[in-house]
Amino acid sequence: MKILVGGWFTLPRLGRDDFLLLMRQGVKYDKAMGFKMDSETDLESAVRTIRSATREEVELTVRCLVCGKEACEGCPYSALCDRRKVSSMCLCADHSPEKGVYGLYVKALSGTIVS
Amino acid sequence: MWVEKYRPKSTSEMVGNEEARMVVGLWLREWRPGKKSMLLVGPPGTGKTTMVTLLAKESGTNMIELNASDVRTKERLEARIGEATMTVSLFGERSLIFLDEVDGLLGRADYGGVEFIKDAVKVTQNPVIMAANDPDADEIKKLASSCITVRFKPPPPREVEMYLRRIAQEEGLVRTADEFRNFVARSGGDLRHAINLMQSGGGADGAGSKDVSSTVSQSLNAFFDAGDAASALSALRALSLSPAEKLRELRTCIVKAELQPDGLAAALEVLSRADIIMGEIGVTREWRLLRYLDTLLAQELFPILRGKRLRYVSEDLPFPVLLRIWNDSKKIREISVRYAQRSWTSGASARTQDLPFLFELCNEKAFRERLERVLDLDETYDKFLQKEAGR
Repeated sequence: MKILVGGWFTLPRLGRDDFLLLMRQGVKYDKAMGFKMDSETDLESAVRTIRSATREEVELTVRCLVCGKEACEGCPYSALCDRRKVSSMCLCADHSPEKGVYGLYVKALSGTIVS
Repeated sequence: MWVEKYRPKSTSEMVGNEEARMVVGLWLREWRPGKKSMLLVGPPGTGKTTMVTLLAKESGTNMIELNASDVRTKERLEARIGEATMTVSLFGERSLIFLDEVDGLLGRADYGGVEFIKDAVKVTQNPVIMAANDPDADEIKKLASSCITVRFKPPPPREVEMYLRRIAQEEGLVRTADEFRNFVARSGGDLRHAINLMQSGGGADGAGSKDVSSTVSQSLNAFFDAGDAASALSALRALSLSPAEKLRELRTCIVKAELQPDGLAAALEVLSRADIIMGEIGVTREWRLLRYLDTLLAQELFPILRGKRLRYVSEDLPFPVLLRIWNDSKKIREISVRYAQRSWTSGASARTQDLPFLFELCNEKAFRERLERVLDLDETYDKFLQKEAGR
């Protein structure tokens, strides 16, 4: 199962205990949209809970800060990067570091933190 | 030092934790009395303190900062921030109260500090942000239930590379893609370490490096060449590495130097003692004691190494080897976590006490397969277990 951190996803019907555990681990739930994991989620525990509840392997991916696309595809660091332990946004292949995107990165964040 | 020169001047210039920064920014903008306080958790060096300091500066909010591990009792906390939580300025402006390293405070429940904070955040008239390193401490979990908890984590490797490339461009430094990846891999996700690695690498061959006054190599060489313990201490303090990194770099230099066995044993003994102290500081969360580590090294290690003409040697493992080490350690961690859950032991005990025996037993195919089934390990672990069994 592939889960985009910061995006909504659905899960098969969970038991009450698993659902409550996910809520305690900071997973968000919306009846219409489903579940969401973000910076308030304890990703390591939540992934463990989902894996044991669904008996499926969970693969986390993160989105590109600049364009919002999924960022992990084709990433040269995929072997090094434990996505449960790094922050929840990254850069995609179109906005990879060798393209000198620091300016775009700062621009994308300007005004979003303090306005 | 480049880490100082390129220290972010605004919240948008920081790297990593973008979503967390937005959440904290929005929370501060919309905070009203009665809303929950904020608890930032994450390992040291992930930007919690920097973020709060810059946020207060940018939003023009007066900040009252307190390192909670220095003020522990209820009375002292009350004296320092009691009034601040309950008052606003004459013109209705609010102050941001920042309690750093609250896990240091929570370790001493008997002093009443915990209760004071729990009560204070319920009735505060000013926004309160707390920061802690260890999200799994029981008291932090209790505190978290009455706060909004935001997790700070190291930036992903690609963002570390982006920042290194930005610095390289500003410094006119030319590096290949492999070299950038090597710095990122060796830094273990620590942006500050990655910058130091690039700076010391840039200084070594002089390729475009402008600011080499206090690189890692120069600081360590200054430590080895110091005339007295005071100069050795200054050299260590100029070394912008975490305490664990300092010990690792010193160990590499000592092991690779041609010291007499007695001298080598004595030097490693000091490093070992420093490592144990660091471990105890981690357990007791008395982070403020880390500042004495440099003094210990200057007073005890420096006299042993004095006059031995040691030079800085980098731990220069090739990238494929580093990658293998990294992958293996991830697998060992994962196995130990799963084993610990099954056997009701801690991850550390599983790693140090049980796994070595289990790996020995993995020579037998039947045992290996059973272990993989019980711990729910996929086929990539089979080769790994075979390799570990053959060691």
